Amino acid sequence: MLRVEKITKRFGGLEAVCDVSLDLKRTPITGLVGPNGSGKTTLFHIITGFYHIDKGRTFFNDKEISGFPPHVISRMGLVRTFQQTRVLPFLSTRENLLCAVPTQKGEQLASLFFRPGTVKREEKQNRARADEVLALIRLAPLADELSGQLSFGQQKLLELGRILMAQPKLILLDEPTAGINPALIRQLVAVLRKLTRQGIQVFLIEHNMPLVAEICDKVFVMDSGTLIFSGPPADAIRDPDVIEAYLGKIDHAS
Amino acid sequence: MDYLLHILVVALVYTVFALSLNLELGYTGLYNFGHVAFFGIGAYASALLSLAGFPVAFSMTAGMIMAGAAGALLAVPALRLSGDYFGVATLAFAEMIRLFFLNERWLTKGPMGLPGIPRPLGIPSGVSGLPLYFLLSALVAAAVFLFTCRIARSPFGRALKVVREDEYVAQALGKNVFSLKVQIVAVGSLIAGLAGALYGHYITYISPSDFTLNETILVLLCVVLGGRGTQWGPVVGAFLIIFFQEFIRFLPIPVDFGRVVAPIQGMVYGAVLVFLMLKHPEGIIPEYRI
Amino acid sequence: MLDYYAQLVVNGIVAGAVYALFAVGLTLIYGVFRFINFAHGELIAWGAYLTLMFSGFLPFGLAVVPALFLTILLGIGQERYIYRSLRQRSRITLLIASIGLSYLLRNALRLIWGSDLVSFGFETRRGMSFAGLIVTRTQLLMVAAALLFLAFLYMLLNFTMLGKSLRAAADNTELAEIMGIDMKKVGLSVWILSALFAGVGGILIGIDTNLEPVMGLINLLKAFAAVLLGGAGNVWGALLGGLCIGIAENLGVAFFSPGYKDAVSFALIILLLLFRPTGLFGLIGGIR
Repeated sequence: MLRVEKITKRFGGLEAVCDVSLDLKRTPITGLVGPNGSGKTTLFHIITGFYHIDKGRTFFNDKEISGFPPHVISRMGLVRTFQQTRVLPFLSTRENLLCAVPTQKGEQLASLFFRPGTVKREEKQNRARADEVLALIRLAPLADELSGQLSFGQQKLLELGRILMAQPKLILLDEPTAGINPALIRQLVAVLRKLTRQGIQVFLIEHNMPLVAEICDKVFVMDSGTLIFSGPPADAIRDPDVIEAYLGKIDHAS
Repeated sequence: MDYLLHILVVALVYTVFALSLNLELGYTGLYNFGHVAFFGIGAYASALLSLAGFPVAFSMTAGMIMAGAAGALLAVPALRLSGDYFGVATLAFAEMIRLFFLNERWLTKGPMGLPGIPRPLGIPSGVSGLPLYFLLSALVAAAVFLFTCRIARSPFGRALKVVREDEYVAQALGKNVFSLKVQIVAVGSLIAGLAGALYGHYITYISPSDFTLNETILVLLCVVLGGRGTQWGPVVGAFLIIFFQEFIRFLPIPVDFGRVVAPIQGMVYGAVLVFLMLKHPEGIIPEYRI
Repeated sequence: MLDYYAQLVVNGIVAGAVYALFAVGLTLIYGVFRFINFAHGELIAWGAYLTLMFSGFLPFGLAVVPALFLTILLGIGQERYIYRSLRQRSRITLLIASIGLSYLLRNALRLIWGSDLVSFGFETRRGMSFAGLIVTRTQLLMVAAALLFLAFLYMLLNFTMLGKSLRAAADNTELAEIMGIDMKKVGLSVWILSALFAGVGGILIGIDTNLEPVMGLINLLKAFAAVLLGGAGNVWGALLGGLCIGIAENLGVAFFSPGYKDAVSFALIILLLLFRPTGLFGLIGGIR
């Protein structure tokens, strides 16, 4: 569903991403790994429209999305998280979820005043959905707390929940397990598997290699801006280029 | 009694003005330091039209719309800038508008100003019209309050707050940040224009010196002191500030000291802004309790 | 006819030299601290007014010394008591405080010296003739003083350790700190320089025109226009920007009403922000 062709991105003299092409096809969960600074997050920014593409093209569902603004890409069903948690700390947990529904009539000024009934109905539906998601990510008791009060791990789950509200077709997760405890990791994995059963694709950047090996059906490895490997995770770990890229720094997550 | 009504009318005008700034600054996080420009455009447009013979209700509406249009026009290019720069651009814009009022004498009579602005709905000018004008202002203020409430408590208002807190997340969540910002500046300018028209028809005489940075500071203070990002904040702020401002004039001050009143007030306003930011940035009515 | 325009250009260069001083001060602060000091204009105004005060009982040449000294203290005070604590907070808090501070300082001026125009009281002398253009001694003084200070800055930035630390800090504050550059010292120097240049510029402008309390705001906007023109943080860009503003303003008078003279900078600000926010010689960050 997601395809990128020969993507290149430069910052001043530095080539952050160089001639990268990949195709997710219908793989349920794909991993994107590589040492720090290999250009993974940059690639995500390019795919989701946050960075301008210097060279290359991006396609989603066979439709070209190169150069589309981020909000348009998001509404097409290509949704992402960021490396640092970016919940909205001064909104409640529930409000964080409600914000995430992409096309709300209530977000159009004219509808507020001329179609109040529709707005009310939609809001009710969204609230019901939010409650479902809250249950799924097990944050229902904290629904009315300011999300800034949640623990780090809970915020990560909230971010995931936010993505779900958007009814995505493809989710891009940037280091979703960074800094969270193993129990929460299991919870996350359970949610991800549930999503793939519903037909939602997952593409995730991760440093936790055992986890990648466990849940990813396919993995892409980047190093210094180029793609050096694509294939099953088990093969990746044994590939000489990949090993060299990490130079013995293969990360066994604690 | 008359004097109390006068203070109340001005306070209500500033309530409307502050509510409009709150939409932009409080909910959306836009540093519009030139908001007085739209207050002025509303006042001048409405005054000129009504002096040319159009019915006042029409003039006020037209003034509002012109202010809103000006806001939208400024917004489209200016909102491509980041916060600081937007602040300075709006400040520069407001100064340009003031210079326009000052220099285009054929239209605005320049520094002489426009006297004899008629009151709406046949309300008599002068003190006898005060109670009726108070009623009118109260109705307008209430309507604007309800209007801004509706916006604030809606998904649209929620989206504005997302834009304020984190533009990247807003975009990642599918919000068209630029469009939202332009819309709210247009609406904010529209309402500021209404406040300006309400003011002009009350005072019945306006000149360019009524629309300077001083007024921007005043309305900024109303919003910031009262509590930005809340509905009652701007109302409380407006009443507090205007009562302070007008009350001073009521005190018997010897003529010799008359000239120091305005600068001292100005220093107080500046100091309050600094103090608030240092110690109590949320203002009197905080937006959220932690 | 050409003489007329040439004269306007000459006037413009003179005004521009002073604007360059304002702009350099503003851009130095932006380069290191990444914010626009709205109260910068008041440093300009206070420099001028303090000189007026001291020149009441000191010869003018001496009066500038305590005046500048106090202006520098004012600049340092702004940082020490207000901006330093606010830098960690949100952007808007800093901006509002900065605007509030400028309003406070401007009204303090009005309180002490009144709202009317005042002047240093120099008699206007006839200018000297150079190749068909008239240049007054005052104008020469202004350009000379501006050049002197700018030369001083050039040497500071390029030949002293402090200057190099300044440039490093402007480039990348965190890295500079890690490399052992004393950020406190750098910060202090930037404020001293900024206030000094503002004050000197204010005095020079005051010599040329009159003083009024609102001069701070107007010159702030001109300084800002120049900063934008040259690229925020770019010191030499600010210099060129100041010159351009001065020339544009004075040439502009030939084409539209003098009442709009100040509007030239305002319009420039808006146009630049719309079409070339990085300025003509724009750089992202750093002091060059």
